Amino acid sequence: MKNFNYIQPKALKEASDILKKKPGEAVLYAGGTDVLGLMKSGILTPEEVVNLKSVPDLKYIRHTQGKGLQIGALTEISEITESTLISEKYAILKQAAREVASPQLRNMATLGGNLCQRPRCWYFREDFNCLRKGGDMCYAFEGQNKYHCVTGGGPCFIVHPSDMAVALLALDARLTIYGGKKFKTVPLKDFFVLPEDDYRRENILKPGEIVTEILIPELPEGTKSGFVKFKERGVWDFAVVSVGAVIRKDGDKVSHGKLSFGGVAPIPWMEEELNKKLQDLALNEESFTQLAQGILKKAEVLSKNAYKIPLLRNITKRILLELTA
Amino acid sequence: MSRKIVKSRYFGDEGLIETVSEVPAEKHKAWGPDAELKVVGKPVSRLDGYEKVTGKAVFTFDVDLPRMTYARILRSAVPHAKIKNIDTSEAEDLPGVLKVLTYKNCPKIPWHWNTTVLFDERVRYQGDEVACVAAESEAVAEEALRLIRVDYEVLPFVTDPAEAMKSSSAKVHDWGNIIDEGPAVYFRGDVEKGFGESDLTFEDTYSTQVVVHNPTEPHCSVASWEGDKLTVWDSTQALFGVRDAIAKSLSMPSSKVRVIKKYMGGGFGGKLEAGKYSVIAALISKEIGRPVRITMDRKEMNLSVGNRPDSVQRLKAGAKKDGTLLALSQYSYGNVGAYPNGADCGTPLRSLYKCPNVRTEEYSVLTNLGRSRAYRAPGHVQGTFAFESLIDDLAYKLGMDPLELRKKNFTEVDPISGRPYTSKRILEAYEQGSKAIGWLEKRKPTGSEQGRFRRGIGMASQIWWGGGGPPAYCTIKLNQDGSAHVLAGTQDLGTGTYTFLAQIASEVLEIPIDKIEVTIGDTETCPYCGLSGGSLTAPSVSPAARDAAEQMKSKLLSAGAALLETPESNLKYSSGRISRLDEPDKALSISEVIGKLHEKVLVTTGAREANPEGYEINSFGAQFAEVEVDTETGRVRVLKIVAAHDIGRVLNYKTLLNQFHGGIIQGASYALLEERVVDEYTGKVLTTNIHDYKLPTVKDTPEIELIIVSDSDPLISNTGVKGIGEPAIIPTAGAIANAVYNALGVRIKSLPITPDKVLMALSEKI
Repeated sequence: MKNFNYIQPKALKEASDILKKKPGEAVLYAGGTDVLGLMKSGILTPEEVVNLKSVPDLKYIRHTQGKGLQIGALTEISEITESTLISEKYAILKQAAREVASPQLRNMATLGGNLCQRPRCWYFREDFNCLRKGGDMCYAFEGQNKYHCVTGGGPCFIVHPSDMAVALLALDARLTIYGGKKFKTVPLKDFFVLPEDDYRRENILKPGEIVTEILIPELPEGTKSGFVKFKERGVWDFAVVSVGAVIRKDGDKVSHGKLSFGGVAPIPWMEEELNKKLQDLALNEESFTQLAQGILKKAEVLSKNAYKIPLLRNITKRILLELTA
Repeated sequence: MSRKIVKSRYFGDEGLIETVSEVPAEKHKAWGPDAELKVVGKPVSRLDGYEKVTGKAVFTFDVDLPRMTYARILRSAVPHAKIKNIDTSEAEDLPGVLKVLTYKNCPKIPWHWNTTVLFDERVRYQGDEVACVAAESEAVAEEALRLIRVDYEVLPFVTDPAEAMKSSSAKVHDWGNIIDEGPAVYFRGDVEKGFGESDLTFEDTYSTQVVVHNPTEPHCSVASWEGDKLTVWDSTQALFGVRDAIAKSLSMPSSKVRVIKKYMGGGFGGKLEAGKYSVIAALISKEIGRPVRITMDRKEMNLSVGNRPDSVQRLKAGAKKDGTLLALSQYSYGNVGAYPNGADCGTPLRSLYKCPNVRTEEYSVLTNLGRSRAYRAPGHVQGTFAFESLIDDLAYKLGMDPLELRKKNFTEVDPISGRPYTSKRILEAYEQGSKAIGWLEKRKPTGSEQGRFRRGIGMASQIWWGGGGPPAYCTIKLNQDGSAHVLAGTQDLGTGTYTFLAQIASEVLEIPIDKIEVTIGDTETCPYCGLSGGSLTAPSVSPAARDAAEQMKSKLLSAGAALLETPESNLKYSSGRISRLDEPDKALSISEVIGKLHEKVLVTTGAREANPEGYEINSFGAQFAEVEVDTETGRVRVLKIVAAHDIGRVLNYKTLLNQFHGGIIQGASYALLEERVVDEYTGKVLTTNIHDYKLPTVKDTPEIELIIVSDSDPLISNTGVKGIGEPAIIPTAGAIANAVYNALGVRIKSLPITPDKVLMALSEKI
């Protein structure tokens, strides 16, 4: 690992200024579960490591009636799994949190960091000068692409690794971002960046910008939600595919529903058309099966990842059945 | 105690060992099935357990010497190249760097049977050694590696063994890509005639992946000189092998090299050979006059210290309608990586069942990838998966119960040599294992399961050697206070060697186990024992320990006879006391006997006796798997493994169970998870950490039931032990694969059986 300066800012402004002053040379450090790995493998070689944990008041979970949940960016994933403030309606959040990595990693990893983590693509992590690292090709496109994206890819074919992002996307979450002078709020769905727009980064954060809070709107009574992650290993594995669902029913029909998907695209994935079809959908296996067949209609599979399509459709059908049972 | 010299012949980790060894002239009466033992066989807790769970145990990496320095290896970034130049000047200028070693300033020490040298100008795989830096800290050494400029002249490379076998392929070595320039061929009978006479033949191709040992403890070495004497702490399965390799490499007498290994976090065969790193550490340490510690990181563990070769196996079976096997054939090849090794896997097909006509043709193929090494039951794990899949397929075609087909072809004698076995209790393993899994009641006709979750039951048989043999020695020192010290130049890989040695001494001398100290893993203080691989340790060393203890007991009895003035036949030895039978009040404790002898310490050295003439020694077993396949996700869950084995005598039930758990978990993981993935366009490995290389977690661990069908094999040795390190892993993958077939009615013919393969196979079936 290259030597670096370790900086402990006392305020957001201080942290932001350092990041802004040395774009690309300073890196934000929260739980460290990803940043340290990136530094050890030489993908990141920062001069300054800025410890966000020295900034006070970024770790909290609050619930305000009518306003929803506010979660500080430095809240550890394990806090989310245990919080009594996160009620049954937000089951999706706890379920996603419980699926993240392993207990040890969840004790360290923060929600903000989880959303901002870098891809797990093995070409990105290993010694390949790939597109995302400034090279001139995506090795996965014709290479070992079993775990890569089936939609939204090109010219880079990563999948976004965050489980929490998939859950938050289905919850219509928003992020508060500090920019050095003021705070702004952006919907989570506008936070992530497709490779076709910029294949060097995964989100819209500009140098000096820091995610400080995650806002989750209040859910109406009767809402049910859930998260299913399919991984090859029993625990401590990134999603092969995952699905988040937030759903309300009215009699024998769906009155509102949102589905989000992980492991299929370079960003947490949502299909507006599909969510529209959920509206008024009859609550039975046949209609859910039919709906599921419409997932990822525009997918363009690579040589080794076609299995992700039936896999995602099958687990989506299952979660819908479970939540409406 | 008199000794004699005999020829011995037994199977080791990678084939036949033929030795001329010193053995006891007379055998002690073996502990047979009816032996009443008080300590041996009991679930005695590990002697090293407390130190390990409290973190006090000192592993090689923990050895901390004054003025220690730290070395790291620079490894080739490309799969095949000639190094045009190396510029180390920047690295050498870095403060804290003490030495940089490359092909330019290192003696040309031959390696891998003279196919390369310690630092070769030609690198043959990503991970081949290019340079080594020793520095004041590991961080400085790491940084220095990045400052070394290597100018590669990139050469054509090959990673696929099928491609490498073609004459048009890039050449890994100038002499070619096939070991021994052709296949290893075995035959008996006339295989074509056998197929011709068969009522039914079945043929298919099965394949297995490359898997990496990935022991918890990385390969590591610490070298330190005192004058002209070198001490090396080494995480190794072969103390004396490392000692002699270092001595030879450095052109010094073996007597000047001492190798120590106290504790070890696993090896699985990956630590059976001396590593280049140990020699490098010794060389640098000598030059800079300070101790050197060298450790592999997880990436190096996945690139450069061995793996299990993959295999492609085209197998054919021919049988009569009633299931009698008439012919078996195998054509196979496997990837041994960049330097010579074997990828043979045909022994299970040649020896598991009675079959008159057999032919095997096996190729070991070189490619520009990390070299393979022995890995827990080399060849047998991949061979058993494929062959037992074939037998299962054949049973299905014959409309026979797969277990009945195996029983039908049971063989009383080794089909290769024609000799009888010292013991073979596989039929009992079939019987008890099938009962425990519910073979008759629970197992449904193949492919009859419907619905999302489909359950299946499958089984596979196991054969391995593991009878051990001479030479192996053990010394016991008995102190005046009644405490004892057991010494043997063997290794404990985490498997329990310390504990069983103490148990044996405790059993014979009737001394409490907490008064027994065990020293192993030291070439200087301990008598010679062989390497720990091939399931050899317990069957080789335990009889030597018993011999030493029995000699000690007889020494005490002789002394007691003199001191109590009565013939030995009038003496009783019990709980460390010698008393007269006629006058029980006339008695002496061990301490009193030794005191009167004016010896502070009594010493005996025992030896492993010869193996019996005219027999084959093998362990046998069968594992039964119950699985549940989720047809919507393709995920296979192993619900239960029943392991029923014939392993001779159990020395310690606790450590035995541990070894079976380890082997079965590793086998299940081989069946379902682990795989080294290579990018074929660049020749680089993509799975160099244990997230991408999918080692199992506790959640991937099935329920395991162990049944031991044997009690003792007194023909083998005085302890009646067979080794079990390898038998535990051999049939697991085959049993799981056959259970998946039973659940789905679709055969997954390549390992690992991952969800994508299951889903795609199911969609093809529909």
